[in-house]
Amino acid sequence: MTAAATVALLQVKNLQKYYGSTHVLKGMDLEIKTGELVSIIGPSGSGKSTFLRCCNRMEDASSGAVLVEGQDIYASGSNLNHLRERVGMVFQAFNLYPHLDVLNNVTLALRQVKKLGRAQSEVVAMEALKRVGMDHKARSRPGQLSGGQQQRVGIARSIALQPALVLFDEPTSALDPEMVGGVLEVMRELREDGMTMVVVTHEMGFAKAASDRVVFMDGGVIVEQGTPTQVFDSPSQPRTAAFIAGIGSRTV
Amino acid sequence: MQLEQLIFTFFNGEVAVRYLPQILKGAVVTVELGLVIIAAGLALGLLLAYLRSLPSRALRLLITIWVDILRALPPLVLIILFYYALPFLGVSLSAFAATWLALTLVLAAFSEEVFWAGIESQPRGVMEAARSTGLTHTQAMAHVILPQACRLMIAPLTNRVIAITKGTAYGSVAALNEILNEATSASSFAGNPTPLMMGAVGYLVIFLPVVIAGRTIERRHGAGRH
Amino acid sequence: MDLIVQYFFNLEVLKEVTPYVLAGLWTSLKISAWVIPLGLLSGLLVAMAGFLVRNRLVRALLVVYIDLFRAFPPLVLLIFLYTGLPYLGVELSPMGCVALGFMLNNSSYFGEIFRAGLESVSRGQHEAARSTGLTRFQSLIHVEIPQAVRNVFPDLVSNMIEVVKLTTIASVVSVPDMLYAARTAQSMLYNPTPIVLAAAIYLALLWPLVMLLNHLETRQRRPSAGAA
Repeated sequence: MTAAATVALLQVKNLQKYYGSTHVLKGMDLEIKTGELVSIIGPSGSGKSTFLRCCNRMEDASSGAVLVEGQDIYASGSNLNHLRERVGMVFQAFNLYPHLDVLNNVTLALRQVKKLGRAQSEVVAMEALKRVGMDHKARSRPGQLSGGQQQRVGIARSIALQPALVLFDEPTSALDPEMVGGVLEVMRELREDGMTMVVVTHEMGFAKAASDRVVFMDGGVIVEQGTPTQVFDSPSQPRTAAFIAGIGSRTV
Repeated sequence: MQLEQLIFTFFNGEVAVRYLPQILKGAVVTVELGLVIIAAGLALGLLLAYLRSLPSRALRLLITIWVDILRALPPLVLIILFYYALPFLGVSLSAFAATWLALTLVLAAFSEEVFWAGIESQPRGVMEAARSTGLTHTQAMAHVILPQACRLMIAPLTNRVIAITKGTAYGSVAALNEILNEATSASSFAGNPTPLMMGAVGYLVIFLPVVIAGRTIERRHGAGRH
Repeated sequence: MDLIVQYFFNLEVLKEVTPYVLAGLWTSLKISAWVIPLGLLSGLLVAMAGFLVRNRLVRALLVVYIDLFRAFPPLVLLIFLYTGLPYLGVELSPMGCVALGFMLNNSSYFGEIFRAGLESVSRGQHEAARSTGLTRFQSLIHVEIPQAVRNVFPDLVSNMIEVVKLTTIASVVSVPDMLYAARTAQSMLYNPTPIVLAAAIYLALLWPLVMLLNHLETRQRRPSAGAA
């Protein structure tokens, strides 16, 4: 448990989302404190990814408020691009730029958004790549890397901007099983360094071992949240218990 | 230029009525020509693609050379060759025939490439399966491979067909009495560009629906390549 | 057979007309050198506008623009401008009409190609770029357009070849391109050898490009292992 400040980095208040007439998010309330790693688990279709993407406005909520560092990102006139300097995202499909090498994948935003010079952006990028263990592949193309390596570069691309918060959207779901461990290891190390992280995941082992808090979502609402021990070992809600029991019978 | 003047010049009702029959005759020629080009060009292209699938190396080489040449030559040059040069050899083609022949050969060349792409894009296994049930090469091509190739290639084909049939306007250079020719001669006769405007509208009436239909087809069947 | 040589490959005539036809070739090349870059640029701008502009009216107008100039035969457009503009009091040289006509036509054809190219880039690329704070414009320039061009490169080359072939319509409005030179020579000497010469030059110029195009198209259909 990190002895972090009690400042809420991310506050979500009554977030609602409709796709047409389908009510996908039915009033979500959540607070993420600086330095926390919060895992969001739940069955498919529960709205986990949608919720995450509403937090950096990759998708827009229908109503409700999301405050990042105290500012409502849905207020009119809020700058999306500034928001994304503070809130990074790691994608299930990695989404590396295939026409750029690894280093340029990371430096692109540093140059264009942070306005760093080429030399300085490369220094910052190499540091980020080193943190994820991919500095030796700086000149490789994404197509030459394995899935796990690509995802690590994806993480570097996000953390190079030194965001306050990084959102992970099922970061290991598209990986072959033998590569999952490597990426989770990187994520654990980031947490040790004090990075604030929200992770939507199916990796229950990771959720249990590495999170400060676990949030169980189902049907567009937060059913239960608490420490890993609370949620996994003694859930208070029957739906939570059913979900945990169901996945418990599968190998993690 | 004021609106009244503009209308008097380009949308002159009197002139329009006087020359409408002439423009319409030209439109008929344009449409007829377009249709026979499409029919003959696609048929020839399909035939060439089939011939290319036969095991003769010489035939394949001949076809690829022939097709490449027709893809490299400007259609206008071909039309001029057929209409103005052939008579020197004693071969006199009408303006319609010369335009039709040139554009048909060009469409055949481009559509052969498209059909061939459609044939090649199918996995080997499909042909093998067909042959394994006793079908001859020709039967397999006719009943299995070519129909599927046609379906796959509708989108890129539509584009090509539109581009080439617009070339019917080139026939005006061979004094063919299609829309452009009728429109320009009517305009100079009347000293007023309204017939030209009518011609332009005529082309749009013919080709705009085709372009829009083409886009719908592309959307539905995917843009071919990626 | 003799007839063919006499009228299609007449050496005497060739000696006389070759310099003239080559001068026309130079003009044709100059025309191409102008209209192709202009067409590519305007097409790219049209495609970018389609992606960046959210105003419904402007988007609708763009679609109308593109469809209009894809449906309009280029020769008709050229004649229309050449004959019609003077009535509007606009004095545009034949070359000017050619340039304008080609730009209108090319911007819509290249615009369509670039648009298809941009659509072929997966949404995830755009999201990744935006997620690191890049603006829509920056994402287009640095991430999406480079990939779009790669994806539709054969289509771009194919259309560029078409544009070179299309320059022959300039001859109809008396711009002294290669076809115009050949036709004038033919009517003066009453021998179609100049036209055969022009055809042969077009062949020599464009056949290699067609073969390159074949190679590009085949490579795109069956990407070899290792091509990232």
